[in-house]
Parts: sequence; structure tokens; C-alpha cells
Amino acid sequence: MKPSRRVLGFLAIVLLLQGCAFSRGTLGDEVQSEVIATIQKGTTTKEEVLHLLGAPDRLLPLNGRDVFQYYRYDAKAGSLLLIILNFTRLSIKSDDLFVILNRDGIVEDVISSKRTDGLKFQFWPFGD
Amino acid sequence: MTHEWKDICSFFMAALLCLSSFGCNVVRITLNTSITPADVSFIVPGQTTLAEVVAKLGAPDSIAASDTGIVATYRFLDLKYSRVNFGWLVKPWTPIDPDLIFSRTGLGVDAFEVLYDPKWVVLHQGFQRHLIRPPFHPYPFQQSRGSTPHELPPFSGPAIMTSHG
Repeated sequence: MKPSRRVLGFLAIVLLLQGCAFSRGTLGDEVQSEVIATIQKGTTTKEEVLHLLGAPDRLLPLNGRDVFQYYRYDAKAGSLLLIILNFTRLSIKSDDLFVILNRDGIVEDVISSKRTDGLKFQFWPFGD
Repeated sequence: MTHEWKDICSFFMAALLCLSSFGCNVVRITLNTSITPADVSFIVPGQTTLAEVVAKLGAPDSIAASDTGIVATYRFLDLKYSRVNFGWLVKPWTPIDPDLIFSRTGLGVDAFEVLYDPKWVVLHQGFQRHLIRPPFHPYPFQQSRGSTPHELPPFSGPAIMTSHG
């Protein structure tokens, strides 16, 4: 059975009334990869780390060591407002940088990852 | 039934179908990428180092001291929310604004914890809650399904105790 003009017209009106929304939120400053690369294990001092990155977001005591934690959150939300059915997907990812300093105030290790690079606006809430 | 009547019936059926879906909302919120037991199967307690874990999973979300070493925690969230407002079905025929809302939220919060010794070698690892991904399901009167033994990740050591503050 062919769909009638009235049904098609109704569906067309419903589809034309749809809307989209894009939203974004960030927390913290982005830490440049080049800056992280300048921090050398065994040589860079606490003062140099503070000069390069500023005060840490968190300072953690760790079995005699100090850990400076820097983080940044990025959130992207996409909404598909179809009036009869609304889809929203909010994806949040974080960039984290840990600088581990030994008792002498020298960098012992640097742990970092940049998850926000692959963050996209998504609308479809199902699947992965 | 005449052709015109079929058209009218089809129109009202389509309108009713759309009206029955009015007020439907499906929302999903994810924080970081969910880690599965398969993603952490490479970790061998006593052998795998922090550098190897970071290379595959990235930096953890937090690091804390414990009595026997250091705990790195990876947190992730997969929240699913769905809502249906059946009040929309009668809105065209009533002067008031009726609502009959069914909604349900599945938080899906979990964390993966790795305990390292002072030399940054993995001692133990484990998931915090063993949550199954919640489905989109607006019906609120049904009990959540529990994890079955074969859905849980393999046990890899005693519970990790962290010292805070």
C-alpha cells in the first residue's frame, strides 16, 4: 500500500520541525605537549615545573614523594530535538598530567595522557 | 471501506503513533572511555610496570598512597536516561496539561584500580563495582539485573585499601 499524501505531508512537517543543539564546557587550562616534553626526569626541579606549568590543581603526598596533578576536562554535548523524540549525548573526557618529585625536589617521573583530542560532538545515544 | 476513508485512517494512525512518542527523551552521558576486562588483560601482577599500563590505558584520574604502595584509579561513567511522558497522548483533547511520566536512570559508575609497589610494578588490579552497562529502559518498576558470574572480570587479588588524607 502506498503511503498517502496526507501521511507523507504530516511526516514532512514533523521532520521539518526538528532542531539540533550543540553545547560545550571546559574546566582547566590546556597543557601543551611541548611544555610537557621539556620536563626531564632526573634534572628538572620543582621550581622549574612550577614556572612551566604554574601551581598544580592538586598536590598529593605519596610515600615521601610529592605529586603535582594538572587536569583539564572537556565536555561536548549534541542534542537532536525531533519534538516527538529527543536524543542527547554528552561526552566528557579529561587530560591528566602527574609530575612525581622525589624528596630532593627533582622530577622522578612524568605521567600524562590527552584523551580530549578524540572528543567529538555526538547525537546518537545508542551503541558505543 | 473507500479509498478516502483509508487515507483518513492512515493519517490518524500516523498521528496517534507520533503522539504516543511525544515527550520521549533518551540521554546518555559518558565520562572517559569505559575500560573492559579485555582492555586490562595484558596486566600481569609482579611483572607489568606503570609505564606499560600508562602506555595502554593513559594516565590515571587519581593517584593515592596505600600502606603497601601506590594506587592508581581510572574512573569512568556511562549514564543512560530515558523518559516517556504518556500525558502527551491526551494533550490535544484536554484544556489542562496532564503528565504521566515513566523515567529511569542507570548510572553505570565504575573504576579500575591498580596497586603498584614503590618501584612502580603492579601488585594487584581490579574493577571497583563490576557493573554491567545499564540498558535504556524507561519502565521504573522492574528490578535491575545483577551480574552473572561469567560476566564478572577475573579475580586478580585482594581488595585494594587506600589511605586518604
